[in-house]
Amino acid sequence: MKTFVSENNLSSEVQRHRKLYTMLLDAIPSSVLMLDRDMKVISANHNFLKKSRRSTQNTIGFPLVDIFPTIILNTMNIPQQIRGVFKSGNATGGNRMSYRSPGLPMNIYYYRIFPFTWKGVVENVMLLMDDVTEQIRLSEEVQRVERHLASIIDSATDIIISTDTGGRILSWNPAVEKISGYTFPEMKGRSFIEYLPIEKQKDMHEVFTQMKNGRQSRQAEWELITKDGTTIRVSWVFSPMKDEHGNTAAIVGVGRDLTERLKLEAELLKSQKFAALGVMAGGIAHEIRNPLAICSSAAQFLQNDDISTEFRKECGEKIYTGIQRASIIIENLLRFARPSTNSHMERICLNSLVEDTIPLVHNQAKIQQIKIKITIYRKNIFISANASMLQQVLINLFLNAIQSMPDGGKIELSITRSGGDVLIRIMDTGTGILKQDIDKIFDPFYTTSPVGRGTGLGLSISYAIVKQHMGTIEVESNKDSGCTFTVRLPLL
Amino acid sequence: MNDHKDIYLIVDDEPDMCWAFQNLLAQNNILSKNALNGRQALHLIRKESFKAVFVDAKLPDIDGLDLAKKIREVSRGLRLIMVSGYFYRDDPAIRKALEEGLISDFISKPFQNQEILSVLKNIH
Repeated sequence: MKTFVSENNLSSEVQRHRKLYTMLLDAIPSSVLMLDRDMKVISANHNFLKKSRRSTQNTIGFPLVDIFPTIILNTMNIPQQIRGVFKSGNATGGNRMSYRSPGLPMNIYYYRIFPFTWKGVVENVMLLMDDVTEQIRLSEEVQRVERHLASIIDSATDIIISTDTGGRILSWNPAVEKISGYTFPEMKGRSFIEYLPIEKQKDMHEVFTQMKNGRQSRQAEWELITKDGTTIRVSWVFSPMKDEHGNTAAIVGVGRDLTERLKLEAELLKSQKFAALGVMAGGIAHEIRNPLAICSSAAQFLQNDDISTEFRKECGEKIYTGIQRASIIIENLLRFARPSTNSHMERICLNSLVEDTIPLVHNQAKIQQIKIKITIYRKNIFISANASMLQQVLINLFLNAIQSMPDGGKIELSITRSGGDVLIRIMDTGTGILKQDIDKIFDPFYTTSPVGRGTGLGLSISYAIVKQHMGTIEVESNKDSGCTFTVRLPLL
Repeated sequence: MNDHKDIYLIVDDEPDMCWAFQNLLAQNNILSKNALNGRQALHLIRKESFKAVFVDAKLPDIDGLDLAKKIREVSRGLRLIMVSGYFYRDDPAIRKALEEGLISDFISKPFQNQEILSVLKNIH
């Protein structure tokens, strides 16, 4: 603190106080100016001089107007405020002022004017200024970031919700409003679980409990019930929002409306099914024409008058049997070809599904001299599945195996149990898959078949179907030693 | 119509198909034997002499056209007639087999009994 009072004229105690006062003022990050009634500067602290790039010589004893740009003094009415403080003896409230020292970037100060009263008289005023440029810049930045984050959430087409740890809705982005029809004010504070189908509510409760207990995140495909009562399939990811102590403070759910994707998948499923049918057609044609040929010959025999009653009866039986056989083949085909619109899972018997599937691939296997062997560890294995979709997986795996054995071979289907899962293993003795190709085989349109023989969709569709069944599909293979596909599905 | 010592071989894995053939030939006083697979067929052909062979295109142990090649190795002059529901008459595989003389005729299933009889007539 620089003052123009000579240090020599003061007592040692006063000098001590003065030194302490100077030290304090120089130590604080604020800028401090002391002014007399004539608005001349009687002292200025170190920070003021540094910030305004001034020295004691051109500051102390100079009028305020020489130190501050007139424009600031006038805009802020500082001289008037100072006079008011001298008059009232009361400090002013805090105010902001922007100030740019020549050659320096704009600074923003928060200032107050305090009176220094001695024996009832205001002798001086103190102008105290704090540089708040950085704080303001930071808070503007924080606001900008906040606005940015908010607009990300508002612009997202995915559902983004947050709930407290008890599952009460805290926030709900516009995407959910659009998808569900419920506005945020309608939903705020309500239990999220209410908007799920009854059978999924227990699972959701469990997710909330897991999140509360620190589980990282959880994926699920659950329906959301909309305002008009319809259900929408949503793929969810729930994650815990942690506070600074690492405790779960809230739960964030991000969901994607699967309606469009499911529609596309259904289309793809259907077209792949027809492609599989195309492959099967050769085998089926052969298999149907055999009983037809028997019927045809027998019918021609019946046209002769001179045949025995016994032979006539025999012909009738052959025709009847032949028609039955052809009809069974066609029925199996229809069962497979019939586009299944529902994608619902139900309790199905895996043994029956295998039994229904084998006749469909049997024809194709037979014409390629391929033997099929089946081993199932027990009767009545129940799983939750969509029978038509799972059958498509089995057919695809069988056709794949059959295609890999143009010169005949063996397919072994085995069903075993592994903990809470069932393993469906389809092993062939075909050409196998090259090591470098093994990662690509589940990619859509990847095929090693000649043009017109395979679409390259069978395995990628099978992969998607198995995933939808909460299962996995794996392949092991070596070139020339055949390959083994293993489908793992949870048991009921 | 035919010499009684002429015997025809029918190779088809479908017993009822063999039944139809056998009856059709028997009605025309023709003797025939059946083989349900390629192995049986080759065995019979090595052992006995046949006037002609009716071969199915798809057998449990061998493809009909492959069997035809094997038969050719055993008995060069034996007439082979392919009877199948798997191929159609203009099928490239069949046209090639006919051109190469691997088979002398092709009859698709289901057939008219008369088609079989006409083929037999041509053999004589």
